[in-house]
Amino acid sequence: MEKYDQKEQTAKEKEPGLSLQGAPETGLGSRENRKILVVAREPGFSEAVMDYAVNLAERLGYDLIAMNVGPEAGTAGIFNSPYRRFLQEKFKKQAKAAARIIEAKVRGKGLAFDHVVRFGDLGQAIEDLNHQKRRIEFVLNASEMSEAEMAAGVTLPVFTIKGDQGERMMAQEPQRNYQLVAKTAGLGLATAALYAAVFLNSGSVMKYFTRGGWYAALPIATVFVFSFVHGAFAHHVWEVLGIRAPKKTVQPRPVATKRPARRQRPRPRLRLNV
Amino acid sequence: MHDVAHEVIQFIDMNSTTVLFLFIVGFIGGLVSGFIGSGGAFVLTPGMMSLGVPGAVAVASNMCHKFPKAMVGAYKRFKYGQVDLKLGLVMAASAGVGVQVGIKIQEFILSRWGQAGSNLYVSLSFVVILVLVGGYVFYDAWKISRAGVREPVSALARWLQSIHLPPMVHFKTADVIISLWFTIPIGFATGMLAATIAVGGFIGVPGMIYIVGASSLVASATELVIAFVMGFAGSIKWALNGMIDIRLTLIILAGSLLGVQLGAIGTTYVKEHMIKIVMGTIMLIVAVSRGLAIPKYLTELGVITMSSSTLSLLMTASFITMCLALGIGALIILGAMWRTKRAEPPAVEYAVE
Repeated sequence: MEKYDQKEQTAKEKEPGLSLQGAPETGLGSRENRKILVVAREPGFSEAVMDYAVNLAERLGYDLIAMNVGPEAGTAGIFNSPYRRFLQEKFKKQAKAAARIIEAKVRGKGLAFDHVVRFGDLGQAIEDLNHQKRRIEFVLNASEMSEAEMAAGVTLPVFTIKGDQGERMMAQEPQRNYQLVAKTAGLGLATAALYAAVFLNSGSVMKYFTRGGWYAALPIATVFVFSFVHGAFAHHVWEVLGIRAPKKTVQPRPVATKRPARRQRPRPRLRLNV
Repeated sequence: MHDVAHEVIQFIDMNSTTVLFLFIVGFIGGLVSGFIGSGGAFVLTPGMMSLGVPGAVAVASNMCHKFPKAMVGAYKRFKYGQVDLKLGLVMAASAGVGVQVGIKIQEFILSRWGQAGSNLYVSLSFVVILVLVGGYVFYDAWKISRAGVREPVSALARWLQSIHLPPMVHFKTADVIISLWFTIPIGFATGMLAATIAVGGFIGVPGMIYIVGASSLVASATELVIAFVMGFAGSIKWALNGMIDIRLTLIILAGSLLGVQLGAIGTTYVKEHMIKIVMGTIMLIVAVSRGLAIPKYLTELGVITMSSSTLSLLMTASFITMCLALGIGALIILGAMWRTKRAEPPAVEYAVE
């Protein structure tokens, strides 16, 4: 089946009358293949999810639709700020980058692939899409939303893929790294500014900071401020370098404090049935 | 009060060597303390003293860098689920009393015997405590690594836990139920030592491991909470006397905040007994280093006589040994992290493709 891209699709959506006119459209309708919908609330999919979805679609001979649902920007007041619109644009861009990766995986496997970006409630977005596109058989949920939460508004079977969310967000990685580097650089500058402020005025700083008494608050407050700014910078430096804790929780229990579990064995009792 | 302090103390001039030295030692010290719960200060205090900073200013500036560092480290390790907050706060409360007592002793010695007496007291405390406790920690770590088993809870801790002396306290993360009366003295000793040599952890961590019965992972993480609380209290006390050299503090902090986070991450990579190995090794080498410095202070006090060339040779040897202690500790940590990271690459690695 041929691939069709999102632009084409949205053009058709905008002009529903068009699809009713020509005979070829009805022909396409009869060839309508069954589809798997994979959804995420992030602007990307994890490596594991992408592989699973593509392989499953290939095995079943289904088509694949990927949908990223971003947070609603709102229509009024502060919720419709330029910043929010900018965030949505960014979300779209990132999601498209992710879609290209899936496209590359799909290529040569004879599957059709489509990508959709929506904003707002996830369940509502799935329901809308289900009306638009026919024959979505089931939904692969790659978001952190639980099936129960999602099933409330969705009339399709939903399967959740549980994996290391976030850790393997491959499609997002380049963008995230860029953001991380930018944030690190910003914090680095802030730290440098703080240090410059103290050391360029070290004469008066030393004069007041060592006076004692109420002036004692000065060095204490200073180190707090430095530790917040510089501490955040240091955290980001290691993040950028890729040095993070590999295990989520590292809390082994000491051996000797294991007390034998209290057994709830019913004691034999004498009963008199009179 | 602070007038007296101003007469005694002199703040040093800063140059690029001083700055570089403090930054690097700060970083490595941070790495070690993020890993074993304390450290850095035991090198920084004498390190600053060897740069010409008076002992009391060295301890004060050090303590003022320690509490924000400990705060950052504790926060990080709390996120890894290693910190027993209750144990930390109980220990810190009793340590707070210990700190006050320790500072009183320091002030008394400074006024009675001057700078040399204060230096000698600090050095002697270092040697005695480090040899005794460090020796045992190292022996224990060596035993565990040779046997290749997980670290067991000490017999002493098991015995103390079995004594029912109310109020009994349940420390959830440490998974220990023990009487408050056995926890308080460890906290007190930790505080007193911290006020003296700015490294309470050399009593606190082994105390929590061998007396309370916490694992070394929990003990070293909890120590950071104690270090924060009493470092904070101690810093206020020193700041009231105007003894903190904020320039020194901030330069050390620049390095140590980077280091402490790396050290905290390191604990999630390596085997638990590595904490004991690093701790024991460092304590023993530092003890040797401070031992080498004692003749100088004794000569200054007129107790013994030694030629100045011998003394300067001893001081150099002491300084090199001390740097060696920290360097070796850092190398063990980084080496262990490196080996583990290579053995099991974390999920992040294959995300980059």
